[in-house]
Amino acid sequence: MSLTTIKKEVLVEAAQEIAFNVFTQKIDMWWPRTYHIGKCPMVESVLEQKHGGRWFTRHEDGSEANVGYIMVWDPYQQVILAWQIDGHYQYDPKLITELEVNFIPVGTGRTRVTLEHRDLQKLMGGPKDIEGMDGGWGMIMERYKGVADAA
Amino acid sequence: MNTLRQYDLAFNALGDPTRRAIFEKLEKGPLSVVHIAEGLSVTRPAVSQHLKVLREAKLISMEKEGVRNIYRVDQDGLRTIHEYLERFWDDALDNFKRLAEQAENQKLKNQKQ
Repeated sequence: MSLTTIKKEVLVEAAQEIAFNVFTQKIDMWWPRTYHIGKCPMVESVLEQKHGGRWFTRHEDGSEANVGYIMVWDPYQQVILAWQIDGHYQYDPKLITELEVNFIPVGTGRTRVTLEHRDLQKLMGGPKDIEGMDGGWGMIMERYKGVADAA
Repeated sequence: MNTLRQYDLAFNALGDPTRRAIFEKLEKGPLSVVHIAEGLSVTRPAVSQHLKVLREAKLISMEKEGVRNIYRVDQDGLRTIHEYLERFWDDALDNFKRLAEQAENQKLKNQKQ
């Protein structure tokens, strides 16, 4: 197992087109609520449906927080997203880690969805100044543990 | 030492431009002090001091290979990020699967009507 790559696979009882549309259009509904980088609670997660489209979250105070953008838009087979959140949970426009998602039909009404998040070593290093300390990776980890333990 | 304190150390360690430059060099692969110091406009003792701070923050580790000390990025930091994202994607894909299958069922229902 490589520490610099995450590979996931899930078999979904749904047609390829539906799987693709749910992944890209309903990202707001499957994105785990506890993970976001805005300063206040998240209202929705948005993916603009086109090549080069923005990927961002909207928050209760009306602010938006960038997550990344669409590098490859190939309905209904593939989408490659640029994930631009570093290891301290800060958006960094210069950082690009690729998130490749493939939708492979398996017979009728079934789709194998593979996901690969590459170059995780780039997420290390983190913020360019000390201000990144609040809301940093450690805080998120603590919060995550809180939620996981309560569940 | 608790995790949060460890992260504070890491942030502080990377707050310095020279240390950041050293860390970025080591991200490309393990190096000896001589090679780390190459191209940096600071003295060797200063480089050693920076390496000490990075080690204390657990961002890098050192191993002796013969007479040379070899420095490399500490894998624990990467492991933490990896574990976190593993759990993130497990949660996310569980949600996604449920949602996609609901959408499929809805489509089938609509076709029957």
